[in-house]
Amino acid sequence: MVDNGDLRLMAKLIRRLILEMTYRGKEGHIGTDYSCVDILTALYFCDILRVDPQNPTWQERDRFVMSKGHGAASLYATLAVKGFFPEELLNAFCQEGSSLSAHVTFDCLPGVESSAGSGGHGLPMAVGMALAAKHDNRNSKIYVLVGDGECQEGSIWEALLFAGHHQLDNLTLIIDHNNLQTAEKVSEVVGLEPLRGKMESFGWQAQNINGHDIDQIRNALLPGEPQSKHGPSTPRVIIAKTIKGRGVSFMENNPIWHGRCPNEEEYRQAWEELS
Amino acid sequence: MRTDVVETIYRAALKDPNIFLITGDLEHSSAKNFKQNLPDQHINIGMAEQNMIGVAAGLALSGKKVFTISIITFATMRCFEQIRNDICYQNLDVTVIGDGGGFYYSKSGATHNPIEDIAIMRTLPNMKIIAPADSQQARLLTEKIIQSRGPFYLRLGGKVVPAIEELRADGQPEIEMGKGQVIHIGSDVTIFSFGPIIREALTAAEILASCGIRAEIINLHALKPIDRELIEDRFNRRQAIFTLEEHSVIGGLGSAVAEIICPLFHCHRRHSIFKSFGIKDKFTKTVGSRQYLWQINGLTGQQIANQIIASCTCI
Repeated sequence: MVDNGDLRLMAKLIRRLILEMTYRGKEGHIGTDYSCVDILTALYFCDILRVDPQNPTWQERDRFVMSKGHGAASLYATLAVKGFFPEELLNAFCQEGSSLSAHVTFDCLPGVESSAGSGGHGLPMAVGMALAAKHDNRNSKIYVLVGDGECQEGSIWEALLFAGHHQLDNLTLIIDHNNLQTAEKVSEVVGLEPLRGKMESFGWQAQNINGHDIDQIRNALLPGEPQSKHGPSTPRVIIAKTIKGRGVSFMENNPIWHGRCPNEEEYRQAWEELS
Repeated sequence: MRTDVVETIYRAALKDPNIFLITGDLEHSSAKNFKQNLPDQHINIGMAEQNMIGVAAGLALSGKKVFTISIITFATMRCFEQIRNDICYQNLDVTVIGDGGGFYYSKSGATHNPIEDIAIMRTLPNMKIIAPADSQQARLLTEKIIQSRGPFYLRLGGKVVPAIEELRADGQPEIEMGKGQVIHIGSDVTIFSFGPIIREALTAAEILASCGIRAEIINLHALKPIDRELIEDRFNRRQAIFTLEEHSVIGGLGSAVAEIICPLFHCHRRHSIFKSFGIKDKFTKTVGSRQYLWQINGLTGQQIANQIIASCTCI
């Protein structure tokens, strides 16, 4: 088990890699990347996801579906640090002729389970993966990360309804709840609250956590006791309160960093804060 | 035709636990066997087409061979972006089955009468499009799809009488996926068609024969990839080429054939005639029998024969 100090350093390393990718590629969504780095760190480095970087298509593995596809840099950087491929490959991010675009692309790198880019696609695919695991009697757990703005898509609610009805207890949904969509607050565009109550009414076991507290994330993600002891099995959702742009002072909670790339001065300042 | 397709999938699924059927709130009798005997391989996803395609993609990403089925407008248009991003972009083994091509649900109105589906499916990279003309073809082509790898769009839409396979004049022992089938021999003009409306092409051929025009009828059950070699060959050998389809004149068979032969007009310095017969660019707001809707869109055998005769007199 990696201790919390090392995990914080690892999260900083991932943020620095994202900064490099976005700065060099002149493209990306650094604010959304930083919002979910701590969640990805917990998933990949706290013995939550059972994956093997040396055997990325291992049939028994757990699956992580990155539904907020504009967070591609955060996923790619995390996979590199995990050892799925050399960090040097990240240099191709958004470069001329590269297959590493600003949105998650299936098959472009080992460890990427599915494509994303348009909101609301990841959860239904994760539901399909959860059904397949149950059909095959595999112990694979399926984790899917969605943005909160993405929860305005109807397909999310179709999948929530279906997974609750079918009691897919091998499925964990994490909502990156930073309350900022492209340019405005989610709560001011089309609000989601009471989000936890909505989820529970759809048949999901829900909890709220601080999405930047590694201990809270890890504890929430750890498989709990078999739910059958306490009643019917259900899928579970973790509503992670996060801050868009987390880790760099001038990016935090500032909507302009949804799709902006740092200039040289901003790059240097961000680098100093992350060093 | 739907029953033939689902039963063919069911028989394959009995032997292969990785075959899944997802229905979109169409619990018709053809899915009964699946539901009763293979409940772990059958899902009624409900009225949720976006989720239907996303779930199909997730299953396919886990190694399953998945078939989804619903009425065409719901099966392809409600969830078009899911078909594009989840299925085609990821190049997954999913077959989207759409039931009720053209005016099959002739009294249900435009919401249930797809005339744009082939156009939009044809634009998707990796997508292959199959449209059988009758039940026997539907079974044979479904077997071929099961042996192949998706993504496929399978467009269904009723029967042809008599059966296409009994009319074939191409001398081939069995249907070959992707290859056009000559079902009426003629050497003056060729009419390409697909699906149940091909019977109107056969009617037209009889009328044309009485006027001294020998019309060849070719069934193109594969809209993508289409039988380019055959189309080019007929362009070079015929005085005129026609297409007949129960689909909009925009983006369907007529467009596909035009995309192939238009460059040849220049290369071969030909002055051949080409005309496509299809549904005009408007919603058909009246209802009636399927034959009636063909008639008000100018697609009956007599109507197209008249137009072909008029075209040929210009040669």
